[in-house]
Amino acid sequence: MSAPDEFDPYIERLFGRAPALPDAETFARRVEQRLNTGTRFRTFALGAAGLVGGVIAVRETVAANLSFNLDETSAGATRLVDTGVAAAAGQTQGVIQTSLAGFGLDNLDVAGGALAGAQMFWVTAAILIAGATVVVTRMMQEI
Amino acid sequence: MTASRRLADLHDVELAALAAAGGRREFGELVRRHGSSVRGLLRRMGADPASADDIAQDAFLQAFEKCAEFRGEGTFAAWVRRIAARLYIKRKARDARFTAEIEDGEDETVPDQAGLMDLDEALKGLSEIERLCVSLCHGAGLSHAEIAAALNTPLGTVKSHVKRGLDKLRARLSPEREAYGRPADVRA
Repeated sequence: MSAPDEFDPYIERLFGRAPALPDAETFARRVEQRLNTGTRFRTFALGAAGLVGGVIAVRETVAANLSFNLDETSAGATRLVDTGVAAAAGQTQGVIQTSLAGFGLDNLDVAGGALAGAQMFWVTAAILIAGATVVVTRMMQEI
Repeated sequence: MTASRRLADLHDVELAALAAAGGRREFGELVRRHGSSVRGLLRRMGADPASADDIAQDAFLQAFEKCAEFRGEGTFAAWVRRIAARLYIKRKARDARFTAEIEDGEDETVPDQAGLMDLDEALKGLSEIERLCVSLCHGAGLSHAEIAAALNTPLGTVKSHVKRGLDKLRARLSPEREAYGRPADVRA
């Protein structure tokens, strides 16, 4: 009968010997690139999702008119929020355009698109929230 | 140049600690040191070179996220190899054909080569499942129970695969062991 306790450490030493792969440096650089890209994207997505989520929360809270019977005040506040949303839409378009430039997509003009300010804002909000959800879900799957 | 020399002088545990604090250059040094080890293991487990590189990249990215968990018990390479092995199994499990392929296929007939045969050549003589189980056990450091859980296979089946795989490797690698001054196996 062979001696498994002699052979097992030997096999483990063989497995531990790394093959000499000629593209090892290229592989390492690719990993570093992915690290850097992942960090930038996460920062952007989380920041944008947080901003959008906050505005949505304010908008919905004001429009809800939950318990204080303040219809007129609520309507007025809602109009104020919508005005703010339109202004934020313009700023968001600018932020998105700048961020796209950071990914080399500055030829993609979101500010001059067919959708008007507030519509663009809500469409962008939905896309960003969906994107943030995908990122979080992927991260949870890989944990 | 000075910064590169400093990195090269650091131990893996020190590099991991710096990487855990967000040091991507330090983590890059760890990838340079151990990338081939992880990629090599995945190829030995049965992944084609392109898939092995993909999975190895993902394993290192996960390792970066979890760097704070590496405390120096065992080597950094072994720690990442375990992550890579689990990723490989997960990816394969998504392929519906995977479980059908985990059968004792016919052994590839390897000409009996007297003299040296390295591990990669010797592994080609194992069935896919034997190769996978032996690699997970002795390459990635998973216990039989962990392998059984990961592959959703009975523990006894895993032990059989590992034993048969090792027996075949022993037969194929014995001449090489003698060349390294190890005593030949004594058969009862």
